Amino acid sequence: MKQHASWWYGGVIILLLVTIVIALMAGTVWLGPRQLSIALSDPGSQAFVTVFSLRVPRILSSLVCGGSLAVAGALFQAVFRNPIADPSILGISSAADFFKLGGAMLLPWLPGRAWVMALLGGFIALVILTSGRALADPYRLIIVGVALDATFVGLQRLLSSGATQVSHSTFNGLTWADATTLLILGVIGLVAALLVAPWANYLKLTDAALKNVGVPVKVIRWSLLLLGMYLATSVTAVVGAIPFVGIVVPNVARRLVGHDYQSVIPFSMLAGAWLMLAADTLGRTVIVPSEISAATMMAVIGGPFVIILLQRGRGRHGLSTR
Amino acid sequence: MDCQHVSYQYPHQNTGITDVTGTFPPGQVTTIIGPNGAGKSTLLKLLAHQLVAASGQITLAGKSVDQYTAKAFAQQVAMVTQHHQLYDDMTVSEVVQTGRLPYHGLLQAISPNEVVPFLKVTGLTQLAATHVQDLSGGQQQRVWLAAALAQEPTVLLLDEPTTYLDVHYQQDLMRQLRQLAATGITVIQVLHDINQAFRFSDWLWLIKQGRLIAQGQPEDLRQADLLADAFQTPIEIVDVPRLGPYIVQIPEA
Repeated sequence: MKQHASWWYGGVIILLLVTIVIALMAGTVWLGPRQLSIALSDPGSQAFVTVFSLRVPRILSSLVCGGSLAVAGALFQAVFRNPIADPSILGISSAADFFKLGGAMLLPWLPGRAWVMALLGGFIALVILTSGRALADPYRLIIVGVALDATFVGLQRLLSSGATQVSHSTFNGLTWADATTLLILGVIGLVAALLVAPWANYLKLTDAALKNVGVPVKVIRWSLLLLGMYLATSVTAVVGAIPFVGIVVPNVARRLVGHDYQSVIPFSMLAGAWLMLAADTLGRTVIVPSEISAATMMAVIGGPFVIILLQRGRGRHGLSTR
Repeated sequence: MDCQHVSYQYPHQNTGITDVTGTFPPGQVTTIIGPNGAGKSTLLKLLAHQLVAASGQITLAGKSVDQYTAKAFAQQVAMVTQHHQLYDDMTVSEVVQTGRLPYHGLLQAISPNEVVPFLKVTGLTQLAATHVQDLSGGQQQRVWLAAALAQEPTVLLLDEPTTYLDVHYQQDLMRQLRQLAATGITVIQVLHDINQAFRFSDWLWLIKQGRLIAQGQPEDLRQADLLADAFQTPIEIVDVPRLGPYIVQIPEA
């Protein structure tokens, strides 16, 4: 762990707590500290309803989604040995979105439909992505990924032009049921990610070197890929595809806490949760009573970040794009 | 470790290993020499079980290498390859810790304390927290050697370990390998420099076109016509004062 890592951990936790308080207060109706304390203590008040049925599930959802997406990105970057690999840029999330929409039209009776279909879509995209030579060549990987993403986005548009249900990728209108689903799916995935974090470190070595020390490379590679896919598609299933969180957060994490995944993953979890909550809170307050979706907010923040990341080139802490 | 009629052919190529039978004396330094493309590295990969022999058998401690699990094999045989690559930042200690993987479950944590003796024996103790990318070629080579030693192998394989080292480090490494052999490790290496091979080895394998054409102690193999035949170039052995016999490849006019 880097020397100042513990400071950064402390910093992100404080930031997270402050942002949660602001997110509880901010919205169409602003609640000051006093009103907030009333809301938290008096279940009969109007403020209580606003906070607990609208804001709390939304805050919980964005925290879990941000953490999940950031960790999914970190896992993909470890497996593909590429600092801009991420389920959203490689078409996994849009495939999940497309299948979710297809499922809603064709299999409305299926239990747990959105999640099952999103997972299936993500898996199919993952198989397409890894079946060719893309695994060995970082540039081919990104190009294949971008093509996959464009294809599934196109297919989704094709499908949705005749349908009433279009995914918006927003936390607006999320219910407690959605929040609970996200919480259960997310926590399982995030705990698993913390357990297998050392595997992400092992993949810094070549496959040949790993075989020499008796490590089953395929097992750890696919475990990490499936876990990342699961985390990203779980978010897509409930909220929709949200870009760039998985690229921005782990890359910042590496600069702040070093390149050890046992540090990158927990830090990404916290920083991703914060970023998503901050983006969503900003999105729903800047143009009250209307709002900007989380996906749009992230595209506006994340796009320029990736451009800067790649244009500024190599450097150790910038993580080379080999 | 020894080979019984081992053959291996690369698909769609004429190169490979043909009917190699020979032994690697335990606790000694064996060097495989021969011209480029003779199959030295292929042989080393077969010994490391990175390639599987098409016919014949490689045995380790009386058991065919095919009968070992990946993990059990990694507890016996370690390999230092010619090309090292890291896809991301790692410290010296972190790299050496990966050498302990054969002794751990995949989800078990590896303590940095486990690698302290291997850092010490390779002179890396002071550099434990340094990033590998920041080291010189010679220091990096020591990191990979330390990682291989962390496997506590009985057989240590090295593919041209002196390639990126200057003369001084080359000799240091050769001496270190002899010391390791003296502790009971069977060292098997491929070397490009014939004189280094003759000077620092206990046993030599001479390979030509995928076949083992001679094996023995350096003094037995130091024959101009044998080496000239293997390397397909005129060879003379001259006496250098304070050094002894020195093999010179005479360039053809």
